[in-house]
Amino acid sequence: MSGAQYVAAIDPARDVFRLPRWRWRRPNLLLIVCVVIGLWLVLVPLAGLLLTAFTEDTGLGFGAFTFDNFVEAYSSERMLPLIGNSLIYASGTAIVTFAIGGAIAWVVERTDAPGSTLFHNLALISFAIPGLLLAMAWIFVLSPNIGWVNAALKSAFGLRAAPFNIYSMAGMIWTLSSHYFPLAYLILGPALRALDVRMEEAGVVSGARYRQVLPKITLPLLRPAILSGLLLLFIMGLSSYEVPRVIGLPARIDVFTTAIQNATVETPPEFGVASALSLTLLGVCLVAVYFYRRATRNAEAFATITGKGYMPTRIALGRWRWPVSIGIVGVFLIALGVPLFTLAWQSFFSNLSQPFMNSPPSATLANYAYILRYPIFLDAVRTSVLVSAMAATFAVALTLVMAWIARRSASRLAWLLDALASAPIAIPSVIIGASILFTYLVIPIGVYDTIWILFIAYATLALPYGMRFASNGIAQIHRELEEAAEISGALPGQVLWRVVLPLLLPFLLAAWIYTFVLSVRELGASIFLIGPGTNVLATISLTMWEEGGSYGAVAALGILQIAPLLLIVAGLRYLETRVHRRTRGGSAMARSTG
Amino acid sequence: MFAIENLHKSFLAAGAEVRAVDGISLEVETGKLITLLGPSGCGKTTTLRCLAGLERPQTGRIVIGNRTVFDSAKRVFVAASDRGIGMVFQSYAIWPHMSVFENVAFPLRVSRAKKYSAAEIRERVSRMLDLVQLTGFAWRPATQLSGGQQQRLAFARGLVHEPAILLLDEPLSNLDAKLREQMRLELKRLQRSLGITTVYVTHDQSEALALSDEIAVFDSGRIVQRGAPQDIYRQPNSRFVADFVGSANFLPGTVRGTQGNLTRVDTAHGLMHCIFAEPIDAGMRALVIARPEDILLFDGAAVGAPTDGLNALNGKIVNRVFLGEVVDYIVDLGDRELRARLRSDEFQIGQAVTLGLPPQKCVGLPG
Repeated sequence: MSGAQYVAAIDPARDVFRLPRWRWRRPNLLLIVCVVIGLWLVLVPLAGLLLTAFTEDTGLGFGAFTFDNFVEAYSSERMLPLIGNSLIYASGTAIVTFAIGGAIAWVVERTDAPGSTLFHNLALISFAIPGLLLAMAWIFVLSPNIGWVNAALKSAFGLRAAPFNIYSMAGMIWTLSSHYFPLAYLILGPALRALDVRMEEAGVVSGARYRQVLPKITLPLLRPAILSGLLLLFIMGLSSYEVPRVIGLPARIDVFTTAIQNATVETPPEFGVASALSLTLLGVCLVAVYFYRRATRNAEAFATITGKGYMPTRIALGRWRWPVSIGIVGVFLIALGVPLFTLAWQSFFSNLSQPFMNSPPSATLANYAYILRYPIFLDAVRTSVLVSAMAATFAVALTLVMAWIARRSASRLAWLLDALASAPIAIPSVIIGASILFTYLVIPIGVYDTIWILFIAYATLALPYGMRFASNGIAQIHRELEEAAEISGALPGQVLWRVVLPLLLPFLLAAWIYTFVLSVRELGASIFLIGPGTNVLATISLTMWEEGGSYGAVAALGILQIAPLLLIVAGLRYLETRVHRRTRGGSAMARSTG
Repeated sequence: MFAIENLHKSFLAAGAEVRAVDGISLEVETGKLITLLGPSGCGKTTTLRCLAGLERPQTGRIVIGNRTVFDSAKRVFVAASDRGIGMVFQSYAIWPHMSVFENVAFPLRVSRAKKYSAAEIRERVSRMLDLVQLTGFAWRPATQLSGGQQQRLAFARGLVHEPAILLLDEPLSNLDAKLREQMRLELKRLQRSLGITTVYVTHDQSEALALSDEIAVFDSGRIVQRGAPQDIYRQPNSRFVADFVGSANFLPGTVRGTQGNLTRVDTAHGLMHCIFAEPIDAGMRALVIARPEDILLFDGAAVGAPTDGLNALNGKIVNRVFLGEVVDYIVDLGDRELRARLRSDEFQIGQAVTLGLPPQKCVGLPG
């Protein structure tokens, strides 16, 4: 035992400012490694972006300092519509998703309408659907030329023109909203759940009716959550690339993300202009993040979170219980069921086939046979799965250590880990892709045109999500659980291995699957970084769509991605519920946000 | 045994330095149970955590057994995992991913001082589970235990590796009143039979009085009084201790003189006789302390109330609180109210009464 006694420098001044709960024997080494990796992933590409934006385009290497790129970008007559479109698109999506998601959150969390577990699971699982494929599916549904709903309505009511046009701003907003409304629910649900019902009850007991309590107590208490939720959805709308690419481009509705990508594929490529546009978009996002931070900063002052033993009383809907539930089922069916069904239907026919319309020609599996023997597809599956698995593993491991240190270390640098890992959330994937491209074209470490450049992009994009899962998980481990192990004689490594890791396992598994699926879906960054030998699923889908693959083949390609992704996420969801039931014996944790 | 010398520990909270532990010294003999008692924020838990090695003090020295585990002058700091102590946490900190058996076996499995064989581990764990009356629960998931059972499990885990000292951080505060009383007795029995040096942290004075060999009363990071439970209760050395441990009535006055062991104090309600621990000069300001249960009540209308040899005060009952075995009477003296606790419920609100305070039970303090 005496050998284990170690002498450590005691510096009273250092200890005063924080509780040093953990004494890493080499605290700084691990911390510094994490900070360096974080800085490299986040700041180096941004530095590359800045340099590209403020220097002359020389085609190779950096030119002289200049503002020309900004002048060129801003003097274009397309600039004003670009800003207008982006803002309308992002705020429109934020409002529509918020309205749908908020309504579902209220029903699930606060009323006795049946099916709340089902809705929660549907919302979690639906994130497996790649946005690109959903956008394509909506074209099959609502395109003026080939959309079957338009065709059906035209023949039913004898209309001459198609009633819906997906190739419009409204169409773009609707398409993205159908993809993001489950996320809006997942963002708002916890806020509604955390709201202490006793605050409302106190209002009721004071003599207020529910319709007075709602605007006077409930909504003001939820204001930070509402504001931050709207801003988050707004940022996600600004960052979205798939819908503007597939629907906005043919409709000639440009937003920042598509304009940035366009500039890089001009001949000659206008990297400088792309960077100037990227910085503008980044600026808008940062402003939104600033307000998001402000909205959430004071959230704790509202003190709506209560301790254990809190059982929310739910509003009895009476005979409206079932109609309300059926309404929500209807939302899921219309927003996700219809496009997915259409895509699946189309995948069994080689030519355009509209469900319920013409008597269907004989269904065939030829499309699947074609895709499954298509060498580019098989290569893309290999690349996508390999790179995504690598990126997910790296990001989960890194953020676990980062979150761990951020909570344990007494160092002043600890907050930096959190900031670095969370930063990419404010950076649209298109900008990540563009900046990584500009940076590694110049830095000669030979990752360009290999899977490693994709790995860097996916890992960077995965950091914030990994960090969220890891720090949420660590926050749920009562510190006395670790201290009890320490007191029992366990060394720090043993505490981590035998107590923390087993308790975190569900979170790490969820984080891995989440970041893996995110990477497989990824298009905005990939489109900059793929090379001839490194196609991924999202990019070959886009190519096949835009270069006129048969409708059936495109649909089969989509279904072959959606089905496994849905299975993986549904499987995780099943596993999660079981693990939580076993180890916690309750449902409080079963609803980790995903 | 263990000893703490001149321990200092401060935190920076909201920009200001908070001296959580401000010069604590304490030594406790082997086999004794000492309670660190005080209101929240008094430094008792920080002291315990420094002793455990979960906090690092700025200055001072801590010796456990004959080993120095912390010495700021010699720059010694032994990690919590190497101090060989047992601890029961307020939350119990039962690991939810392990069975009851694995929870208890953990300290043996990670032991570096001595390697235990699988058979030894089985043997020791089942002995501990027997001791805390959890026989037959070994393979249950720990989360399926009730609050009281989890508490006993935490004890088993804290004791299985035969620690030199056992640290208890408000271990009964999460139990309901009935169970708390039962666990209190069980804890005392367990501690006595094992003869383990134990430090008990609590803010509950009745727990402290019931359990301890010795109590250290904490206030603002310092120990304000140390002693056996009876001494702390009977001879509080400050208004804070008298007020915090049990309840007390206070009557300010001026010292008039001492005769034998009784000192006369002139108060607004007449001359009172009381006992001072230290001699005090006439003319000094003083405070007379009387416990509610030491006060006698007499009907004020009755002539010749038997108050001979008692400090007698006149007042009127303004409230009575029925507590079951006793009744609390609030008596208005004009400028203040006193609380008297009697078995009798014969007195009524509004009744004029004479209070009798036995001088031997009135404690005088300089004030």
